[in-house]
Amino acid sequence: MTGCDDVLTALLLGQADVAALEHVRTCPRCRAEEPAVQALAAQLAADPGPTPPPSLTPRVLTAAGPLLARNARRGAWRATWPAVARALAAALLPLPAILVFDVALVRAIYALLGAVLPHGLSLYLVFNHAAFLVLLLALTYGAVPVLAARQARLLLEEGHRHG
Amino acid sequence: MASDEELIGRVGIGNQDALAELCRRYERPLYRFLARHTGGRDVEDLFQETWLRAVRAAPRFDPSRRFSTWVFQIAVNLCRDWHRRPPPEPVETDDNLASTSDAPEARIDARRLLAALPEAQRTVLLLRHYHGLSEEETAEILGCPRGTVKSRLHAARERLSRLMGSA
Repeated sequence: MTGCDDVLTALLLGQADVAALEHVRTCPRCRAEEPAVQALAAQLAADPGPTPPPSLTPRVLTAAGPLLARNARRGAWRATWPAVARALAAALLPLPAILVFDVALVRAIYALLGAVLPHGLSLYLVFNHAAFLVLLLALTYGAVPVLAARQARLLLEEGHRHG
Repeated sequence: MASDEELIGRVGIGNQDALAELCRRYERPLYRFLARHTGGRDVEDLFQETWLRAVRAAPRFDPSRRFSTWVFQIAVNLCRDWHRRPPPEPVETDDNLASTSDAPEARIDARRLLAALPEAQRTVLLLRHYHGLSEEETAEILGCPRGTVKSRLHAARERLSRLMGSA
């Protein structure tokens, strides 16, 4: 590759500067090749290229519909999962204390009921109470990610509306 | 006005208006690039596939990159795949192309010239001459060193100049 190649290519691209033009003026090889390069540049430049049919972009938008929907679903998840993770972590923090309290409560109730009711009946009542507490905990912790995701989405939508 | 990079970011979270705006901005350059690269065959399918790939990859778009380089890279890869396919049955597209051009004769001549180039040289010439991309951007699109872009462009120029001289 030589300086002449750079100059002739610059001529083809219409990017020849003063130094390049000066080089063409003084270099026998470039002077000899310049007309062909200029003719080539003119030939290429004379081609405006085809015009896309008007139906093309609507066709692309229709075809992209399912992919956009998928992006929206994944985008929503990507935007909300940090909030969900934070909410879950905050909710899990007091869980050991809640469990200790619940176990102590169940034991106390069992002791209280055992003193006045037959053993089988008090066991049945305490079991029901414990099952109710477990259900309550499961519902609470199951609702945390759902509510956190919803809240994050609402905040995102509000952010998009305002900015 | 939102930049191309902002718009593709919105496409990544499913925004159709952003995609429509990008299509509007790049419709002509991309369509013409594909048409010149393939000699006018399968252009609409390739155009659509370029955008579908762009939408699919939009969530992973690196905002530090230029969208134009990125989308042309997708188009170039598609053209490479297209050229690797078995040769199609001859399709006369001159009528279609001529009907949409302001200067059909010049375009057909330019098309013949471009068709005479090997695919790699044609890609470089199209990106540098018709789309005004820099050497660096072209190298990024093609995933090759700048020196390769330069040498391919010189080779394309020499080949076409010879063809012009012998015509």
